[in-house]
Amino acid sequence: MSSLPRNRGDARGKSDAVHESFLRHARYRWLKIGALVSIMAAAMYLVADIGPYPNGGTWYGYTTGTIGALLIVWLSLLGIRKRAMTPGKWSLKAWTSAHVYLGLALIMIATLHTGFQFGCNVHTLAYALMMLVVLSGIFGIVVYAMLPAALSNNREQLTETQMVEGIRAIDRQLNDSAQPLQRSEADLVLAALSNNPLHASAAARLSGKYPRCATQQAIDGLRAINPQANADPSLARVDALLVRRKAQIDRLRRHLRLKGILEVWLAVHIPATIALIAALIAHIVSEFYYW
Amino acid sequence: MTFRLRQIEQTSDGREIVRVRNIDQSTLSLGRATDNDVNLPDLAIELHHADILRVDEAHIEIKAADTLGFGVDGNVTLFARVDCRTGAELRFGTFRITVSLDDDGAAVLTIHPCEETGIRSGNLDERRAFALTSVLPGKRMLAWLTASIVLLAFLAVPIISQQFHAVHPKSAIVGDASWSPGKLSLAHHALESRCEACHVKPFQSVRNETCRSCHKNAHDHAPPDRMDQARANPPLAELFLRTVAREFGREGPGGCVDCHNEHRGLAPMAMPQQKFCAECHGALRDKMADTRLGNAGDFGQLHPQFTPMIVTDPGTRALGRVSLDTNPRERSGLTFPHRVHLDPLGGVARMAASIGRGHGYGNRLECKDCHHPTEDRVRFQPVTMERDCEVCHSLAYDKVGGIFRKLHHGDVDQMIADLSAASPHQPVVTGRRRPGEYAPGGAYYSNFASPSGGGLVGRALSRDGICGECHTPVTRGGRLSVMPVTLVNRYMANGWFDHRAHRQTPCASCHAAAASTSSADVLLPKIAVCRTCHAGENAAGAKVPSGCAMCHRFHPPNVVPSRVGGV
Repeated sequence: MSSLPRNRGDARGKSDAVHESFLRHARYRWLKIGALVSIMAAAMYLVADIGPYPNGGTWYGYTTGTIGALLIVWLSLLGIRKRAMTPGKWSLKAWTSAHVYLGLALIMIATLHTGFQFGCNVHTLAYALMMLVVLSGIFGIVVYAMLPAALSNNREQLTETQMVEGIRAIDRQLNDSAQPLQRSEADLVLAALSNNPLHASAAARLSGKYPRCATQQAIDGLRAINPQANADPSLARVDALLVRRKAQIDRLRRHLRLKGILEVWLAVHIPATIALIAALIAHIVSEFYYW
Repeated sequence: MTFRLRQIEQTSDGREIVRVRNIDQSTLSLGRATDNDVNLPDLAIELHHADILRVDEAHIEIKAADTLGFGVDGNVTLFARVDCRTGAELRFGTFRITVSLDDDGAAVLTIHPCEETGIRSGNLDERRAFALTSVLPGKRMLAWLTASIVLLAFLAVPIISQQFHAVHPKSAIVGDASWSPGKLSLAHHALESRCEACHVKPFQSVRNETCRSCHKNAHDHAPPDRMDQARANPPLAELFLRTVAREFGREGPGGCVDCHNEHRGLAPMAMPQQKFCAECHGALRDKMADTRLGNAGDFGQLHPQFTPMIVTDPGTRALGRVSLDTNPRERSGLTFPHRVHLDPLGGVARMAASIGRGHGYGNRLECKDCHHPTEDRVRFQPVTMERDCEVCHSLAYDKVGGIFRKLHHGDVDQMIADLSAASPHQPVVTGRRRPGEYAPGGAYYSNFASPSGGGLVGRALSRDGICGECHTPVTRGGRLSVMPVTLVNRYMANGWFDHRAHRQTPCASCHAAAASTSSADVLLPKIAVCRTCHAGENAAGAKVPSGCAMCHRFHPPNVVPSRVGGV
């Protein structure tokens, strides 16, 4: 998605030297093309004589259906195309830009192809999967535009390894400091130490909610057993270490959440695309099998 | 009786350091607290976890101090007796202690740290663990799984079972319901789960012959050559579509499915659109010079004036189609002025008021008094003399005792015979003068004067006689007779007008009967009257958008359109 500088003498070569997102590529060329395609499809739908009633089986339906199916195949080829980064007119960036805007135009083309005839069948399944793919794609673009800054702020210049090392260092200190503790107290610390913040479910990662956080439970539990924590220096030390551990884990969890949101759309987008292609094949074959 | 503790530690560069300590006691305490003889810094271990007792030269006993046990060669227990000669491996928390016996008789406890006790939470620095995908099912696996399910359920299963059905017709086809784009119409509802009834052959559009296997009476609209002629020279776009359709093996143009669309929901089948008719009829005259039909493409804009079938010659009862634009005169053979009968102040009204009560008449005659709807209320029953006229227009000519003798209507020979043999005991009608037009010399004078001999027949059949009042006297084959009456019951043979659908509308809005002084008036409304409500199918402001199929039927013979007489 980042452009490669091109050593060309023209004005556009100069603009390429600075970063230009795939959304703005070539002065929104593909946005314009996508919009034009959508408007043309809508205008034809409204103006042309689509008889006997709008549906996929009219000349308009077959036309938009063919265009839509070819478009879906081409759009899904980005998965292969992205593995080769190339500059030029058909650079990966241009391809991605076209992928986004033609993908959006697909909403119009496919919806008009249906003629608003929906039902509980394989045809509507294909449409629903297509919408799922497009909407997850839109979600992906939005989070790519919004979240990287938040991710960077949360990390505070730390690498992921450094985050883990920090927790590890606290864990070692906690282990040493907690040696004099009584059984029940030691169990709380032990549970906190045994908790791996990276062993979190997808739901916990994405929501950022960990209602049974062992570290928090250890803090609360120790304070409940010993309300006067400051009286015992070793307890006070353990408490301070647990609070530090909690802070570090919270940052790690925020990191996991942002990273998860950045990844989750793709976990929907890709399988749904493949399922869509399967449903599309079933849709087309069944349509003509029972013509 | 000593113990020898061998504590093994690892330096940061991986070398092992062994610290050896002899303890000359018979009992060792073991636990997390630093005051134990054996101090094991692990939170999983009790502060004072266990005691180790030297029992004799060869044996030691290990007793847990509390409820937490320890491992002996893999088994967790609270008490163990170990033979130091054979040895054993004890496990406390993350520590491993091997027991052996030295040559000098000391029981050796070798303490191995199993792992770094500080990190219990496992391997944190695995980069993959940071990715959400590490806890989600793999994208590739999920993609293949869903795609396989879709292909299997929605493609493989229906196709395989359809193929199997082709060989074994008794087997059911499974899964093809998911292919149905919508419910079938009410008429075809019974076929809902039998797709193969219409979709007979894979990859072949529904054939006309399949429809005709049930709809055996669906006739062609016109001879095929005439249809081809009418369809010739289509617009370029239509020609292109036809060519493409033919290339893909579709029947047509004019195939059943071209006009009749299914899978549009559980409702009456949609009426075919007017465009299907307009394709040919919109410019039919240009394509077929010899057609008698005018161009018709839209009821509101392009439709010829109505040409009802009227009686043109009462003698031969010949019918002919005449445009209402020519203000045609019908010669039905009957003399019947509507105006006289409908005049609210005239004699007929008085008569209806006085003698018609028993027959359901009001204070005047109304249309319904003579025109009775058919059972389906679509049209009207033929008007009959006996039911609709005779209440007033009595044919009684004699009275014998309390019985009136009446002439036989519709049978001139019988009438002549009756009157010839008549010898009335008293005249049915006295010589009292009747008023107005009913008086002698008036238009409706009936001469019921005392008959005398053969003159009675002549008088009855004269222009002023009882028959001549409504009929035109003629001489046929040298005998007195009347012109036969031909009342057309259905003027529009090729169109369907449904009176039931118009029951809210007064008769007079369309039929100007009250002003008609002659039965030669054709009291049908012209198309302009219909157009006050009805316009073409796509007309924006029409009260009733009306496609061709509302009144016309594509398939002859004259099968009633499903709409007519229905709801």
